[in-house]
Amino acid sequence: MALDDKPTILIFACNWCSYAGADLAGVSRLEMPPNCRVVRVMCSARVRPEFVIAALSRGLDGVVILGCHPGDCHYSEGNYYTWRRALLLKGFLEYVGIEPGRFQLRWISASEGARFAQTITEITDTIKALGPNGRRRPQEG
Amino acid sequence: MAKRRIGVFVCYCGNNIGGIVRVPEVVEYARCLPNVVYAEGSLYACSEEGLSSIKAKIAAYGLDRVVVASCTPRTHETLFRNACEEAGLNRYLFEFVNVREHCSWIHMRAPDEATEKAKSLIKMGVAKSYYLEPQEELESEVYPEALVIGGGVAGMTAALNLAQQGLKVHLIEREKELGGLLSQVNKLFPANRDVKEIFDPLAEGVKNHPLITIYLGSEVEGVEGFIGNFKVRITRVEGEIKVGTIIVATGGRELKPIGQYGYPTVANVLTQLELEGRLKEGIDGWQSVVMINCVGARVTGRFYCGRFCCLTAMKNAILIKEGNPQAKVYILLQDVMASGVEAERYYRRSMERGVRFIRYDPISPPQILGERQAEGVKVYHALIGREVILPAQMVVLTTPLVPQADNERLSKMLKVPLGSEGFFLEAHLKLRPIEFATDGIYLCGSARYPSDIAESVSQAYAASAKAAIPMRQGLVRVEAITAFSQERLCHGCGNCLRVCPFGAIELKGSERGGKVAWVNAAQCKGCGCCVAACPNGAMQQRSFSDQQLMAMIEALVEEVSSGP
Amino acid sequence: MNNSAVLVIGGGIAGIQASIDLANLGFQVYLVERTPSIGGRMAQLDKTFPTNDCSICILAPKMIECASHKKVNLLTYSEVIEVEGRAGDFRVKILKKPRFVDMNRCTGCGECVENCPRRVPNEFNLFLDKRKAIYLLFPQAVPHKMTIDAQNCLYFLKGRCRLCEEVCLAKAIDFEQEEKIVELSVGAIILATGFDPFDVSALKEYGYGEIKNVITGLEFERLISASGPTSGELERPSDKKPPQVIAFIQCVGSRDVNYNPYCSAVCCMHATKEAILAGEHYPGLRSFVFYTDLRAAGKRFQEYINRAKEEYGVTYIRARPGKITAKDGRPIIWYEETLFKEGEERKVRKMEVDLVVLCQALVPHGSHQEVTRKLGIELDEMGFIRIPDRLSRPVDTSVEGVFACGFCQGPQDIPDSVIQASGAAARVAELLTVERM
Repeated sequence: MALDDKPTILIFACNWCSYAGADLAGVSRLEMPPNCRVVRVMCSARVRPEFVIAALSRGLDGVVILGCHPGDCHYSEGNYYTWRRALLLKGFLEYVGIEPGRFQLRWISASEGARFAQTITEITDTIKALGPNGRRRPQEG
Repeated sequence: MAKRRIGVFVCYCGNNIGGIVRVPEVVEYARCLPNVVYAEGSLYACSEEGLSSIKAKIAAYGLDRVVVASCTPRTHETLFRNACEEAGLNRYLFEFVNVREHCSWIHMRAPDEATEKAKSLIKMGVAKSYYLEPQEELESEVYPEALVIGGGVAGMTAALNLAQQGLKVHLIEREKELGGLLSQVNKLFPANRDVKEIFDPLAEGVKNHPLITIYLGSEVEGVEGFIGNFKVRITRVEGEIKVGTIIVATGGRELKPIGQYGYPTVANVLTQLELEGRLKEGIDGWQSVVMINCVGARVTGRFYCGRFCCLTAMKNAILIKEGNPQAKVYILLQDVMASGVEAERYYRRSMERGVRFIRYDPISPPQILGERQAEGVKVYHALIGREVILPAQMVVLTTPLVPQADNERLSKMLKVPLGSEGFFLEAHLKLRPIEFATDGIYLCGSARYPSDIAESVSQAYAASAKAAIPMRQGLVRVEAITAFSQERLCHGCGNCLRVCPFGAIELKGSERGGKVAWVNAAQCKGCGCCVAACPNGAMQQRSFSDQQLMAMIEALVEEVSSGP
Repeated sequence: MNNSAVLVIGGGIAGIQASIDLANLGFQVYLVERTPSIGGRMAQLDKTFPTNDCSICILAPKMIECASHKKVNLLTYSEVIEVEGRAGDFRVKILKKPRFVDMNRCTGCGECVENCPRRVPNEFNLFLDKRKAIYLLFPQAVPHKMTIDAQNCLYFLKGRCRLCEEVCLAKAIDFEQEEKIVELSVGAIILATGFDPFDVSALKEYGYGEIKNVITGLEFERLISASGPTSGELERPSDKKPPQVIAFIQCVGSRDVNYNPYCSAVCCMHATKEAILAGEHYPGLRSFVFYTDLRAAGKRFQEYINRAKEEYGVTYIRARPGKITAKDGRPIIWYEETLFKEGEERKVRKMEVDLVVLCQALVPHGSHQEVTRKLGIELDEMGFIRIPDRLSRPVDTSVEGVFACGFCQGPQDIPDSVIQASGAAARVAELLTVERM
């Protein structure tokens, strides 16, 4: 089902900012590559590093966490924790041999529909250029 | 694994989804997903017909989970949750999949891909819904009594308004009398009203109201609990006072600019409040007065502006002129803070009365001339471009209000934050200026930021409205997306409580010995930060558990693993 | 006699906040808003000072909370036409203008807008671009339902088209819809009608309307908004290129005995914010703010100004320019600096810039004239609602039972408006105590 130039990218988007920004991109009918799948969380801080590791080590081509701009977090500090975790996670992923670029953290506010579209397009291109995730295994049987 | 009876409803949304995504194909796909026993397409799932159909199918097929694939949950989630509830299904057994804003509308030129993506998103949504658990929204009782800390104009106003609404109030004031800064003020801008006109009716109202209990000469010693259920200990009072809400109205104090411009050793250099004291005693007749504004404000270490001190200076300058029309009165300032209608009008009036305004640059501040007392002031007059020497029988330093010395102590007791300047920090500067991030505690007056009387009173009314809400409702209801800790897995590391922005987590003794985390659901806001910080999965979030989110990831992983 | 219902006139942030608080206090609230959506001026802002929060991001949750509250009855696209009575017993008549769209059927899908052939100037974007004759006021509008602008609709003008009706699968278009009169009985009234921008073309010396690259503060706000007419690209009107030097002129029509003698309170901060936003969008862009008094007396406001100066290189010049001319599309500002450094020469200077932003005066919205007249509510000489006793009753008007919050009673920013809105709710609650819920 998944072909070489059709990466599958998992996106965690926070309810208050980035998910709303994605909604606005939709309302504005901004065309984007169809490779991403958005999972809604209340705050980007909900995202465990284990989710990212599991997703990338089991074959998804990319994982992106989207949060509110620093200072704008609906829960005041959540995105600062996300930032810290993401920095550590990037180091760890590189250490275990996952190409940098497969995991990204970006800030999108609820009014930035265009920025959401640009971000998705840009990240999809980056991940296409990296090729399919080598950890993908075809289903047995 | 237990079997479920999941129903999937895919919305056409007219042409918005149906015009790009091949809905019948998606419905077929959904029907074949594990544990899905029913699937249908709906022209407008959110319409009367759409909702009726969902309710009917829940009954007809004994559905125990419902997934709707349509627009964004940010608009219609409540609508569909209500429909489930009406059909007898717990409202938290519902999952929303966005195939419009996040699919059809952004892939209008790629209908094949959009259709595949819709299937994929629904597969993820169905996977999550399998693990949803029924939830009850927590209701926590609110004790209908309030504590107002501070008996100045703000505290008295809030207390009286609450009492008039029929709510019992405990008003605590650390001085022996009510009034706060009002007791030092002479007359009030802009009509030169006597302070008594404001203070007397308020104080009378507060003292005479049967629902207000006043504690003079008392301070708060300790606070425990949470919204609806605070237990407060006060000095000079036995036992605890139980209240549902707390209003912080502790005010501010005038900055005494020790070491600046000869204050306080030079006898004829005063602050504005000290001048007001002299005016109250009937002293007047000065020949020349120089007021220096922004003393200790808008400087490194205290960046803020005192907000109403320009008006205070003008008010006193006008009073001095009225006492002696021949007097030379100068106000040395940087910017004239007189926003709005009345203040701007007052500024013009003071100029018409002969008050002279001189702009100085903070780089070259004024200098006091004189030996044992001030006789004049030398200043670089920035508007005319040269130094001038002004006669000064008295020099008045206009200083801002600064935070009370014990703000930090009170902030720790209440577990509410202070801002960098030392005033209490509200939940949100723009839209929640009177509330704290911690529910049930509110803020008004100069405890928040220098506020004049009209503003302090406005804020007090606002705080009263906010405090009255949970008390009049009698309870607080919490959306079931809160965190909870599983005791058997928790080993009390405390990571969770360190990251909680709302102070909603405590460590409590467990039966096994040691401590475990406990989430106060009444304070939890459902961000999930603690869950991600928990090293072994003891902490989970209702409706966003690890199991539910991993199921979505698994669903995607499964898709990419089915090779060509 | 109805002491458990309240009328709120005006659906901006003040009206929204007052409605939410009153509804939570147990009152039945009728919120009347003239335009098809609540949100008001805040929906037109890009960011808000001093936090630089995205305006619609913090407003939208409040709009949704207000509209979905069980005790709030939203009457949008409506106006108050009759009001009489006294505190505790006001009788009000409200005119619901026909949208020609059935609110129960419309799902806000937008198919009709896509197909409508008629374009008209878009008032939400200060007429900088166009909208359709059937429209949503802005993307996050609440209620999220369409409205047909009958004055510009081809069917109403010429009897043809009706394309929207054809394409609407929910069958929500109803050209036969008539205006409705709603009669209400309420115990108290809150006015929250906000402001309008002053028409700065009156100041001929500044060239607004003549010189292309002279725009107003609100127009700048729409240009820099991600959801505005240029998707957030700051395009100079003359050549669509981004400006490299911007001048903000303060007090245009404010603090001016010829027009509005008062200070509009928010413009110093507003200009600073816009200068910061411009600097963020276009690194290297220079901004100059021509001011009289730099009024930054609110919480964190001085820090914001300092940030503008230190991080974004915004320069503040104390001057009220005498005139603005133009050369090859570049505006030239003629001014005299009024603050002196030692040894500086005093003379008239000229500054050539790419774009001029006139921070216009803000005047009370004309819509409250009718209501205030009918109830005998006093206005001050500027048209703001008079508050007889600001020190003890800062939100009480001259008529008992009628309160006013936000800009309609005096120039103020968002936090002050929100505070007054909650304060008005408290005063209403005091006036009409209701049984505990």
